[in-house]
Amino acid sequence: MLLNGEYILQEHAVPDKNYATNLSLMHPDITLEMLMARYQAGDFAAATALIDRISPQLYRLFLGQIVSRLDADDLLQETWLRVHRVRHTYRPGEPVLPWFYAIARHVRVDHYRKAIRTTSREQRLEEVSELAAMAPEQIGKSDDLDALLAPLSESQREVLQMLKVAGMSLEEVARATSSTVGSVKQKVHRAYEKLRETMNAMGLRKGPSEEKS
Amino acid sequence: MRDGDIDELLKNAADQLPQVKPALLKSVADAIQPSLRPVRPLPPTWVLTGGVFLIYATVALAGAARAGFNGFAKMDLLERALIFSTLSILAWLAGTEFVHEMIPGSRGRISAEGMLALGSVALLAVFAALFHDYHTEHFVSAGLICLAVGVVHAIPAALLSWWILRRGFAVNPQSAGLVAGTIGGLAGVALLELHCPNFQAMHILIWHIAVLLVSAALGALIGRAQRRHIKALRHLA
Repeated sequence: MLLNGEYILQEHAVPDKNYATNLSLMHPDITLEMLMARYQAGDFAAATALIDRISPQLYRLFLGQIVSRLDADDLLQETWLRVHRVRHTYRPGEPVLPWFYAIARHVRVDHYRKAIRTTSREQRLEEVSELAAMAPEQIGKSDDLDALLAPLSESQREVLQMLKVAGMSLEEVARATSSTVGSVKQKVHRAYEKLRETMNAMGLRKGPSEEKS
Repeated sequence: MRDGDIDELLKNAADQLPQVKPALLKSVADAIQPSLRPVRPLPPTWVLTGGVFLIYATVALAGAARAGFNGFAKMDLLERALIFSTLSILAWLAGTEFVHEMIPGSRGRISAEGMLALGSVALLAVFAALFHDYHTEHFVSAGLICLAVGVVHAIPAALLSWWILRRGFAVNPQSAGLVAGTIGGLAGVALLELHCPNFQAMHILIWHIAVLLVSAALGALIGRAQRRHIKALRHLA
């Protein structure tokens, strides 16, 4: 298949072929599914473009699960190694994001279980309750995702991040979490209820949309 | 506070998260480059499900061919049609679910536990509707033999199903094991229906369905153990 990258190379006569190909592969018109198919075909430029485009989203997912930056680095690396090992399990035509998120989720669950074994449970609970008990002005000003999501359960946090931060559809989230669309909707609904309750209790100001009504 | 306000807060908070370091991305790319070669994607779901279904049918028929089709010969047409069509539909559904368990991010219609519950309830309903002889004779001794024969045939069916999907990747090995065990269990039940001439309702309702439950439980346990085994190997490496 002839991709835009080759035309760009001719038009602009960029001396470094890899550079031109990489740039064109980062173009939003080149879908993640197309890149994944080329990655499966052994195209390194496509693999690099995928890494550049998907890693920030996965990194946010890990950081939003109350893990340290160092842990997030490890988890991202581990996820890509796992993705590389099982890249043949992606089937062309299927949405690629749920496939990545399902593997990232698996890596995170492994990490979480390991952390539970090594860290005392009391300490973790203390940390979580500290976050949950943060003052409203701290949340409002710092816009800290950890603090915002702290009152939620692990699964609610995960679903909300995929849906609202990564911008995935309900169907994609259901695929990534091996659940049904109905179950995802229910989790999101409960998460919003809990967040609204927490924020109202903390006395956060109403948004402009509500002020108007 | 409205949903839109919460969305905005979430988006703002996510935007303020630290960015991934370019050096990390480069190290990831460098790590995968040496082993980057073309790979063949897995075949479509129906092909894999077909393979699993073929294993289910082959194990059941091969076992019955060896032990005898005594049960099948004793059944009337309605019993044959209802029992084997139910078993086939359940085996196909379980096969689809197994494929879903072995491919990350694929669309699943029912959970592993749901599949087992559906299989058990459907078989209970069919057996209860067809067999009404509630007289029991050699209940435990005959039952244990059927259970053993069923599970002995369920194991190769589950292992062969796993072999068909060996290139897959189970994000939840316990669930995948549970479904593989369910497929094996269905093969075991199918074999018993073909072979076992004991039509006492309690015998079929309890011991034949126990094959499905025991196989699924074994599958889940093996899946769970496999996860730990893989972790231990990684730790050693």
